[in-house]
Amino acid sequence: MKLKATIEHKPNIPTASMADIAFLLIIFFMLTITFEVDKTQVVLPKTTLRYEIPKQSAYVSIDPNGRIRVSDGNEQSALVSAADEVLSMAAGVIAMDPQKVFVVKSDGEVSWDKVDEVIDALKRAKVRDVYLLSDQRTVTDG
Amino acid sequence: MKLDRDRPDDEIPTSSMADIAFLLIVFFMITTTFTATRGLDFALPEDDDDPPVVEKEESVLIEILPTGELIVDQDPMQLHEIIPYLKPKLERNPKKPVIIRPDTATPYKYMVQVYDELRQGEDHGLAEPINISVPTQREIQSFWY
Repeated sequence: MKLKATIEHKPNIPTASMADIAFLLIIFFMLTITFEVDKTQVVLPKTTLRYEIPKQSAYVSIDPNGRIRVSDGNEQSALVSAADEVLSMAAGVIAMDPQKVFVVKSDGEVSWDKVDEVIDALKRAKVRDVYLLSDQRTVTDG
Repeated sequence: MKLDRDRPDDEIPTSSMADIAFLLIVFFMITTTFTATRGLDFALPEDDDDPPVVEKEESVLIEILPTGELIVDQDPMQLHEIIPYLKPKLERNPKKPVIIRPDTATPYKYMVQVYDELRQGEDHGLAEPINISVPTQREIQSFWY
């Protein structure tokens, strides 16, 4: 009796669509990536209410040592020596875009007078929308 | 006569495309940072040269000491006691201004804590949002004294 020769299948993984998947992921990351304009390391205060901050908002950050950095939302934040410089920067930004949103990113331990100076400068620069950057407060935070 | 030409393949080599794509994915995954982009909105009133005069007696004053202790209308109070204290006053006058006045040495987090609590007034049964005011030191010196 003549036996049929067994056909051998070479094992292979279909990789034709791998590049499609990869490029899809690339497009996703390219669209969602946001480059931080301010990299100041702070411990943010915690709040229960938190709202989404519009993209490309201007930043004023205060680190634990009280140093102030400002960014117009496009450029990386730069150190300023006094709150008066916040006023001149904010006034310049508001002159270009009166609806510009400002974010105050301050360490929770910074004394109120420092934050007060910054908020006062923003008020004088006619800034209307300010967000106080915060972390989520949870039940365990008390 | 038949010529035996050695014709090269007219294919674009795509075998390394997946490698390049995954390299880019890894780059974006590493550089993407999920940052805290949420916070409390803090609408600033217009810097009016002639602001409406609010008598101190008509408003509720919340002072925050550097230790985080709260003094509401001269009485020490806990954070969770503020809304029940304000409730009857705001039912009579929903527009009653509530002024937060931290000490200059008070850590910023205590001010945010009080502001966050007052913003949740409606969740605690108040009919309208609380009219919160956080005057700056310059405003206090200009208009209060």
